[in-house]
Parts: sequence; structure tokens; C-alpha cells
Amino acid sequence: MSSTEAQVTAGLLDAEGRAEMERTWDDGPGLRGWLRATDHKSVAKRYVATAFLFFVLGGVEALVMRVQLARPENGLVDPELYNQLFTMHGTTMMFLFGVPVQLAMAIYLVPLMVGTRNIAFPRLNAFGYWVYLIGGLLLYSGFVLNTGPDGGWFNYVPLSGPQYSPGKRIDVWAQTVTFTEIAALVAAVELIVTVLKQRAPGMSLNRLPLYVWAVLVTAFVVLFAMPSVALASMMLALDRLVGTHFFNPAEGGDPLLWQHLFWFFGHPEVYIMFIPATGFVSEIIPVFARRKIFGHTALVLALVATGFLSFGLWVHHMFTTGLPQLGQSFFTAASLMIAIPSGVQVFCWIATLWAGRPRFDTPLLFVLGFIVLFTLGGITGVMVASVPFDQQAHDTHFVVAHLHYVQIGAFVFPLFAAFYYWFPKITGRMLSEALGKWNFWLFFIGVNVTFFPLHFLGLMGMTRRVYTYLPETGWGPLNFVATVGAFTIAASALLFVANVFRSLRRGAPAGDDPWGSHTLEWGTSSPPPAYNYLHIPVVQGLYPLWERTPDRPVVTGMGTERREVLLTTVLDAEPDAVYQHPGPSEAPLLAALAVGVTFVGGIFTTWAFVVGPALLFPALLRWFWTQERHEGPRTEGEEPA
Amino acid sequence: MSAATRRTWPAIPVAILLAACDREFSATPPAGPQAERISGLTGYLAWTGTAVFLAVVAFLLYALWRGRRRAENAAGPAAERTLTLWVGGAVAVTTLILAVTLVLNFQTGRALAEFAEPDALVIRVTGHQWWWQVDYQDPDYSRRFTTANEIHIPVGRRVRVEVQSRDVIHSFWAPNLHGKVDLIPGYTATTYLRADRPGVYHGRCAEYCGMQHARMDFRVIAEPPEKFAAWYEGQLKSATPPADSVRQAGRQVFLSKGCALCHTVRGTPAGSRVGPDLTHLATRRTIAAGTLPNTRGHLGGWVSDPQKIKPGAKMPPNQLAPNELHALLGYLESLK
Amino acid sequence: MSPERTRLDVSALPKVVFGHRSLLWWGTLGFAVIEGFTLLLMVASYFYLRTNELAWPPGRTPNPDLLVPTINTVLLLLVIVPMRAADRAAKRFDRRGVARGLLVATALTVGVAVLRWFELLALNVRWDAHGYASVAWGVVVLHATLVAVDVFETATLGVLFASGKARKKHFPDASDAADYQYFLSAVWVPLYFIVYWGPRLL
Ligand code: HEA
Ligand code: HEA
Ligand code: HEC
Ligand code: CUA
Ligand SMILES: [Cu+2]
Repeated sequence: MSSTEAQVTAGLLDAEGRAEMERTWDDGPGLRGWLRATDHKSVAKRYVATAFLFFVLGGVEALVMRVQLARPENGLVDPELYNQLFTMHGTTMMFLFGVPVQLAMAIYLVPLMVGTRNIAFPRLNAFGYWVYLIGGLLLYSGFVLNTGPDGGWFNYVPLSGPQYSPGKRIDVWAQTVTFTEIAALVAAVELIVTVLKQRAPGMSLNRLPLYVWAVLVTAFVVLFAMPSVALASMMLALDRLVGTHFFNPAEGGDPLLWQHLFWFFGHPEVYIMFIPATGFVSEIIPVFARRKIFGHTALVLALVATGFLSFGLWVHHMFTTGLPQLGQSFFTAASLMIAIPSGVQVFCWIATLWAGRPRFDTPLLFVLGFIVLFTLGGITGVMVASVPFDQQAHDTHFVVAHLHYVQIGAFVFPLFAAFYYWFPKITGRMLSEALGKWNFWLFFIGVNVTFFPLHFLGLMGMTRRVYTYLPETGWGPLNFVATVGAFTIAASALLFVANVFRSLRRGAPAGDDPWGSHTLEWGTSSPPPAYNYLHIPVVQGLYPLWERTPDRPVVTGMGTERREVLLTTVLDAEPDAVYQHPGPSEAPLLAALAVGVTFVGGIFTTWAFVVGPALLFPALLRWFWTQERHEGPRTEGEEPA
Repeated sequence: MSAATRRTWPAIPVAILLAACDREFSATPPAGPQAERISGLTGYLAWTGTAVFLAVVAFLLYALWRGRRRAENAAGPAAERTLTLWVGGAVAVTTLILAVTLVLNFQTGRALAEFAEPDALVIRVTGHQWWWQVDYQDPDYSRRFTTANEIHIPVGRRVRVEVQSRDVIHSFWAPNLHGKVDLIPGYTATTYLRADRPGVYHGRCAEYCGMQHARMDFRVIAEPPEKFAAWYEGQLKSATPPADSVRQAGRQVFLSKGCALCHTVRGTPAGSRVGPDLTHLATRRTIAAGTLPNTRGHLGGWVSDPQKIKPGAKMPPNQLAPNELHALLGYLESLK
Repeated sequence: MSPERTRLDVSALPKVVFGHRSLLWWGTLGFAVIEGFTLLLMVASYFYLRTNELAWPPGRTPNPDLLVPTINTVLLLLVIVPMRAADRAAKRFDRRGVARGLLVATALTVGVAVLRWFELLALNVRWDAHGYASVAWGVVVLHATLVAVDVFETATLGVLFASGKARKKHFPDASDAADYQYFLSAVWVPLYFIVYWGPRLL
């Protein structure tokens, strides 16, 4: 189309320009288009949906466990299955639901919130999803084929070593973790680069929305936490497959090395779920309190502090291993210190509500539930951070109570708030408020009924990961109460699923901005077009939609025939260059399959480490050597070298 | 507030909820100085935590209640200043509470570590999948002996417990006496206990250790020193040779049916250490690491098919003719 | 829509930029951070296992040889020279210069990869002997996988430029590949000292 150049220089795009943008950014129809998709929104949607599916599976596993524990000496499952159930539940919730869903939400929201057209490295992004999917399928195929892992979600050696866990169960676990690590790492890199380089002009760092800050901090945490578990699981795989002795105490290895490496990752991991969740909260509260957030700078500092401190806490999971007292004191101090940034956040949120005029729609309800549950779970966290108390509470249901109050309270609740809040943007339809309120109340009551009694069970001596207990223990009644609570949660989750399906078909149309929000994404249509913004907006303040001037400045002069994105400077977001993104491609899927062959095959034969990379080679060639054909004159970058 | 009430603080909610249940299993009440110190700290943590939680919720509710009735936002520099003061104050209070908590933590930790008293006794506990080997140490080798799953200690005296494992990680936990300590292969850890009241205290393995982690309990039995001494002397002895013909036949079954491949009965050729030492089996309250009361019926069920009772346990089922089983049980019951 | 919209025209912005102005440079940096940190943790594990042994190497295990590893370290550092040339050429948009630099670097890196095998033998112990052996092999093999990936990347780019199929937008990629190579060579130096000299000193 030759008239485009003229249009561009003339300024705003007309209907024809819009149509061309549609063509350029469309990933193509049908199954082929679906498999080749690189639009961050398409990838993120399937990512979130897959993660949610794993949440349901993990939840069903939890229900089976709860029924088994409902009364003493119950015979629903045998110990072999029970041990797989809590391992699957923990692994699913942490590796297949928690981390992925947070990254997936970020993959959807961050490019929109910073005002760009796609995430940086879109094919890598698609690759990340496929690898994650393969990991999830591996874990569940293993489980169905009676090769489900049974080492617990932190999989301590030597129990999970070659001697005490022969068979393939643990290998399935280790490779699942490898896949999810790869997926998380690539997502982290993409998100960091998107935030640093692809922000809309004017969105200097001090105008970065709090959620984007939270994602940025989280992505850095991923960058430094994941290598640790990658290394640990690699060492474990080597110990099991080729006879190394990293963890074998009889040959100069050390089981505690596993614990250090695992928790150096494991503690930050819980913050990988928690930090973006606080980002949701910081976005939602001002909208529903109908005023700007109180303490923006303090909140940013709190996020950064939490990110840093999260690397200084890992030993608080190892207080009973008999490490030197002085060292333990340091980790207690660090664990208590992290309560301060959390406190700052909680207080700023309450202050914002205090000074605003809260509107009690479902997103805010989930946020309020979050504040209550997180405060409770955080305080039990502070309790177990005390070494002497933890020596009693460790590995009991007290810790199970803590971890669910924070995981559900401080991660799942904000996530549900985010679902309710952004669902209209993503689908163009509202979720039902009436069902939403039922969803919230059942969930809130259910969580407390399920997990509050576990504090007492822990103090009464009920250790975790036990498939049954004797009647004389007296643990029966409270366990029964907890089981009832778990079904309340399940009912609530079922309502949510029903709400989603109902709304997809006949939810009220949302319009661009149903809540009166302030971040950029509410300025485009719902659902957003493939290119997100017809014209990249120019940002004028911390609350772009609340603070924009009537002339609503935009960027012009970008091509419409190629997937061009605007690069801006890191600190001030000054326009710096125009960069061409690749289009749809099957290479990510092929590369992911090759990686899949490598690691899944590696469980059975070392030849996989020859075959897999051999398959990877053509996939990567395809990745890097695809020449896209475009109409119109060549751009600068397309000229022959 | 008296020391006694302080000690029972954390027990209050538990006690209200569970007045009826068996106290033997409860982490509260403490029965020795170590558990007592921890319990004191627990009380502080639980009550401060409750207070902080209630304060936060109260502020939250008040904020919502106010905001709901307001027509205009509280905005402007004055409002911001008020908010800053409140938030700043809350952060200051938080920091203060945390600082106090930290100090109390250190104090308790130090007190636990500096529990300096002469050792009345040194016991070495070895974790196995899924039972406890207990070795009483003594400089005089003839005064050492081995037992399983039941630890007797004299009341009012400090006992040193050295824990270790040769297979996977376990954790030694007798909540009424002290916090837990992990048994990590390649390491030996030490913990000090003292029971101030006679009683039977329940203990369990707290670290997930495989299939039967749930059934890896033990008992700590605190007795007055004389009673303890008598028990000790009894344990030092070898098994008394069976007096009647049934028991003699039982011993024959024991020695010929493979039991001796794994078990020790001192005074007989059976000397293997794969499974628990059975020399004084009949003096123990439970079998299979706290899974079953030590009665003839249960013993019979266990010996015939351990897998049914404790699936995965490292003891195979034994097909014995009824008369053989009868004789064997008679023999086992005689191991006093 | 309001017709009176202020416009920020970006049509004059460059499309080919180098270094921290380019997207891929940041991506490369991200992966270098990940890999560097993984290596750091491996080294931390090395020192952690050290504390469990009285002697290092333990028992009768001999010290590692120095000859091959030293040669290979020098070789790995030498790769920087052609890479630097390619980097400079890229910034001049000099296709031949880039191709030459990349292909020479590829050849040298292949040499490094081959010598790497003898470097492993120079450890004088098999990986499954004990913890020391496992972790020493671990450090070297981990770095070797990065070298292998690097060979692939440099070779592909080199062929791309040599074949004349390269476009102007690929010049920054060559420059980023050079930056990555600097990282890969530099990070090896401390690893070399730890693994091959460490046992003599620790
Ligand atoms: C979202 C996840 C999440 C979050 C946010 C947290 C938050 C915290 N956690 Fe938790 N934790 C887990 C997930 C999480 N945790 C999981 C999954 C495990 C178990 C792993 C396993 O073993 O399987 C675990 C286990 C765990 C342990 C190990 C227990 C054991 O195994 O024995 C410890 C010990 O220190 C701990 C501490 C803390 C602390 C101090 C915080 C702090 O960050 C909390 C800070 C927040 C607050 C304190 C509330 C807000 C503050 C105020 C309102 C100010 C006023 C407060 C005071 C004056 C106290 N956690
Ligand atoms: C994000 C993290 C997360 C979440 C959300 C949950 C959610 C739940 N967890 Fe989980 N849990 C962990 C993380 C999490 N857990 C971890 C890390 C462990 C430690 C594991 C280990 O020790 O290794 C653990 C351990 C754990 C235990 C301890 C097991 C043991 O030690 O023996 C228990 C027991 O009660 C439990 C229960 C529950 C319950 C009832 C829920 C509920 O909230 C779940 C509610 C959800 C659903 C019920 C799904 C929705 C259902 C439907 C939509 C209906 C489906 C419909 C059809 C099929 C038709 N969990
Ligand atoms: C292959 C080894 C093996 C053999 C053979 C074996 N046992 Fe055992 N036995 C064990 C182990 C291991 C335990 C501990 C099981 C547990 O509690 O998990 C045990 C436990 C017991 C106990 C309970 C001890 C206690 O204090 O809890 C008794 C009694 C017992 N065995 C009797 C016998 C008899 C009688 C036979 C022969 C008919 C026998 N065992 C054969 C390994 C064996
Ligand atoms: Cu031994 Cu759990
Ligand atoms: Cu932690």
C-alpha cells in the first residue's frame, strides 16, 4: 500500500491505516494461527487458562487429602498415593500455578500498561508457554501412569536420591521443574526488557504504575532465584542418572547443600507470587477508593526492599537442621525485617481507603479479604521466624496454616481481584457482581474454616505430610472442620468457573473503561486490538487517564506494514529508536518440542541429550533465518548488509 | 502475672477447644525447662500477634466505615499530613514490636543453648525408615545396651541426646520436652532434655522420610530415678531363656523362620541390627514405632503381615502355621 | 475522537541501533546474568563441599594438571581478538569484516570446545568418584555447555554474514554476540583458577 507513507507523515491513521494495522498484527486464522501465535495477549490468555486448570487439579488433589484426613485412620487413600498427592499438590500450586499465572498475568498486562504493541522477544514468549505446557503435561502423565513424584514439593535428598527413590518418580519431578524454570526465566527477561525499553514516551520511571514496578522487581527476583533451583535439580538428576555425589554424604557430598540451594530459590519463589499480587492491590485500591494511592514512593521502596530481602531469608526454612546459632539469629532478624516493608504496604493501603470513598465491588472485596488474611498469615510468618518457636512449629500443620494463609490470602485473593478487575478488559464483558459476591464470601469463610484450625493442630503436635493419625491423638474434630472448609472453597471456585462461562456468553458489555480506572490499558478498546493501541499514547503523569490533557497526545510516524514498536530510553522514556518485531512463527513450538525431547527423553536415556539438541538445531535455524516478506519499500534494517 | 499462668498462656485456646483430649499428644503443656522456655515465647508471640492483627483489622474497618459516609475525598496537604503521621506512627510501632521480639528471641535461644547442667545420661538415637534405634551410652561398655522406640529417662536430670541417621533425614521431636532436631545423614546433632514431671511423653518423626513417615512415633518415659535405675538394670540383662516348652518352640521358630536375619535378642544367636532390638520387647508399650499397643493380638497381626498394618515397612510378611505363631507369640511375650 | 491531538512524530528515529539502545543487547545481558549467577552458585557449592573434607582433593586423588587448562584459557581469551574486530566492523557496517571476525572466532571456539575434553581429563578424576570430583566436573561442564551454545550462535551469524543474506539489522546482533563472548571468556578466568589452582591452595 503506497499511500501509507503519506498517511503516516500526515499524522493520525484513518480507517485504511487501521485495517492495515489489523492485517500486520494478526497472527493468522485457525489452528495454524493459534500454533504460530506470538501476540502477547493470545499467549497470555492460554497461559492463564492453563495455569488455572492446574489450580483446579491441585485443588482437587487437596480435596482428596482433606477427605483422607477428615477422620483418624481413614482408608480412602494409601500412604503411597497420599505422598504423591501432597507432592503433586505442592508442586502444582507452586510450579504450575503460582509462578506461571503471575508471569502470565504480567505478560498480558505489562505491554498494555506501559503502552506498547507487544512484549519484547515475542517468539521467546511463545516458546516459554510451550515449554511450560510440556512440563505440566509431563508431571500429570507421570501421575496418571503411576510415576507421580512422592518426595514432597521441596524434595529433600537423600530421600529423593538414587538410593531411596529408585524408579522414575523423582526424575519426573526434576524435569518438570526444569521446564517451568526455563519458562519463568525467559518470561522474566522479556518482562524486564519490555519495561525498561518499550515504555510509551513520557512514562519515565517515576510514572511507572505500581503493578509494573512489582513485575519488574519480581522479574529480577526470578532472574536470581531460578538459577539456584535449576542448578539443584540438575545436580539431583546427575546424582540419579550418572552417579555423581553432590548430595551423597558417604562420598563427600552433602544433603544440606540441596536444602541451601533449594531454599535460596524457594523463599524468593513465594515472593514471586506475592509481589505481583501486591501490585494488583496497589492498582485496584485507588480505583475503588476513588482517589490516588497514598504513599506511592513508599510503596515502590517497599517493593524493592521486599525483593532484596527475600534473598536473605532462606535459612528460616532450615532452623531445625542444627546450623550455628549466630547464623540463625541473622536469618531471624532478616525475617522480622521483611515485616516492615509489608507493614508499610498494608498501612498505605488502609490510609488510601481511609481518605477515599470506597466502592464495594467484587475486586475491592477480594482486596479487603487479602488485607485481613495476609496480615494474619504474615503474623504467623513472624512467629515461625523465631527460632525457638519454629523448633516446635516446624513441619507441623502450623506451618501448613501459615503457608495457606499467605498463599491463598496474599496471592490467590489478589489474583481473583485481578480476574474480576481485568476480565472486562480482556473479554469485553463484565463478570456477574452477584455471583462475584458469593464467590468472595464463600472463599473467605472457607479459607478461615479450613486453615485456622490447622494452627491448633500444629500446636497439638500434628506433623505435616502424614497420611493418617491415631484416634487417641484427638486431632479428629479439628481435621473434620478443616475438611468442611475445603469443600466450601471448592464450591466458591466452582461458582467462579460458572461466572466466567456465563459472562463469556452473556455478560454485560464492558466498554473501554467500566471502573473509571487510571492506567493506560483502559484507554484502548475491550478487548484490545492485536496492536494494542492504534497510536501509542504519550504519558503525562502517574495516572495517565486521570491526568491527561484534553489534546491527548499520541505518537505518529510509525509504519503500519511491519510490526514496529517504539523503543524509549531506560530512565526517562524518551523516544529512541523504532524496532521491528517478528511476526507469527512455528519455530517456538518446534524448539519447545526439541527441548521437550531432550529433557523428557533424558529421564530414560542419555542419548536424548544428543537427539534433542540435534532436533533443536533446525528449529533454531528456522527461528533465526526466517525472512519475512513485506510490501512496500524496504526499511533501513532490511537493506542488504 | 505469676510464672505458672504465664506458662499456660498459649495453652488457653487449645485447652478451651480440646479440653477432653489426651494431653500426651499435645505440644502443650510443657513438662521440662526447654519446652517451658519455648512455651513462654510462644505465649508472647501469640498474644502480641493477636493484638497486632486485631488492631490492623480495626483500623481497616474504621477506614471503610468512614469512607463510606463521606461525600468528598479527604485530599489536600493537611489530609496528606495526617495520613503520613498515622502511617509513620504505625511503622514505628511495628519496628518497635519487632525489635522487642528479636531481643526475646535471642534471650530464649541463648537460654536453650546454655542449658548447662551435668549430663545424667547420654543417649544416642538413630533414625531408620521407620523406627527409632536407641543406644544408651556409658563409658563402661558393659553398661551399654540397645533398645527401640521407647526412651526412658530419669526425672529432673539433664539428658544428652545425640541424634543421627544412616538412611534419610528424620526429625526427633518430643514436643512436651523440647523443640525438634533433624537427623541428617553425615551429621550428628545434639539436644538436651530434662523432664520435670514423671509421665509418658509422645514423640514423633517430624521430617518427611518416605512411605511411613506418619507412623514413626516414639515415647519418652520420665520416671523417678529409682524406677529408672531398675529399668536400666533390667534392660542390661540378656533375654531370659524360655522356661516352658511352648516358649522354647517359639524361640526355635524365631531362630529358624528368618526373624534372626534382622533382629537381635541378646542371649540367643539372633544378633542382626536391621530391625529393632527385641531383647526386652515385652516391656515396651507399643510396637512398630507407636503404631499399635503391645498386645498379643496386635503382635500376632504384625508378625503375620506387617504390610497390612504399616504398608511399606521394611519387614516382610511371615507365613506361619497357627501353632508356630502361637509359640512365637508366647516367646515374644516372655521377652521381659 | 478529538481531531486536535498533539502528535509526537517518530518517523525520523533510527531503526538500527547498537548496544544498550538495542533490545537484543538487553536480552543478551539478561541471559548473561542468569548464566553468570548459575556459575557463581556452582562455585559456592564447590566451596561448600570443600568444608566437608580434610584434604582437597580428598584422599589420594591427585591434583589437576595445569598444562591443557592453561593453554585453553589463553585460547578462550584469544577469541576476544577476532570478536572485537567483528564488533568494530559491525559498527562500521562492514559486512566482510564482520564475517571474517565471526568465522575466525568460530574456529577458535571450536578449538576451545575440543580442548575442553582434555581439560576434563586433566582433572585426573572421574565425576563419580566423590563430591570433589562431581563439583569440579560440574563447574567445567557447565561452562562448556555455554561454550557449545556460543559456537552454534557465532557460527550461524558468521555464515549469515559470509553468505550475503544478512541485512543491515543484523549488525547489532553481531555486536551483541561479541559482548556475550567477552562475558564467556572473562567468566572463565576465575573458574579456571578455582578449579585448577584451587586444589593446590585450598
Ligand atoms: C505468598 C507466600 C508467602 C508469604 C508472603 C510469606 C511471608 C512470610 N513468611 Fe512464609 N512461607 C510460605 C509462603 C509465604 N510466606 C510457604 C509456602 C512456606 C512453607 C514452605 C514449606 O515448608 O512447604 C512458608 C514458610 C515460612 C517459614 C518456615 C517455617 C517452617 O518451615 O518451619 C518461615 C520462617 O521464618 C516463614 C516466614 C515468613 C515471614 C516472616 C513472612 C513475612 O513476609 C510476612 C510479613 C507480613 C506481615 C507481618 C503482615 C503485615 C504487616 C503488618 C500489618 C505490620 C505489623 C506486623 C507486626 C508488628 C508483626 N514462612
Ligand atoms: C498457591 C499455593 C496453594 C494453594 C492455593 C493451596 C490450596 C489448598 N491447599 Fe495446599 N499446599 C501448598 C500450596 C497451596 N495449597 C503447598 C506448597 C503445600 C505443601 C506441599 C508439601 O508438603 O510438599 C500444601 C499442602 C497442603 C496440605 C498439607 C498436606 C500434608 O502436609 O499432609 C493440605 C491439607 O489440608 C492442603 C490443603 C489445601 C486446600 C484444601 C486448598 C484449597 O484452597 C484448594 C481450593 C481449590 C479447589 C478445591 C479447586 C477448585 C475446584 C473446582 C473448581 C471444582 C472442580 C470441579 C470439578 C472437577 C467438577 N495443602
Ligand atoms: C527383613 C528384615 C526383617 C525380618 C526378616 C523380620 N523383621 Fe521384624 N522388623 C523389621 C523392621 C525393619 C522392623 C521395624 C518396622 C517399623 O516399625 O517400621 C521390625 C519390627 C518388628 C517388631 C516390632 C518391634 C517394635 O519394638 O516396634 C516385632 C515384634 C518384630 N519385628 C518381630 C519379627 C518376627 C517375629 C520376625 C520373624 C517371624 C521378624 N520380625 C522378621 C525387620 C524384619
Ligand atoms: Cu522419619 Cu519422618
Ligand atoms: Cu521463607
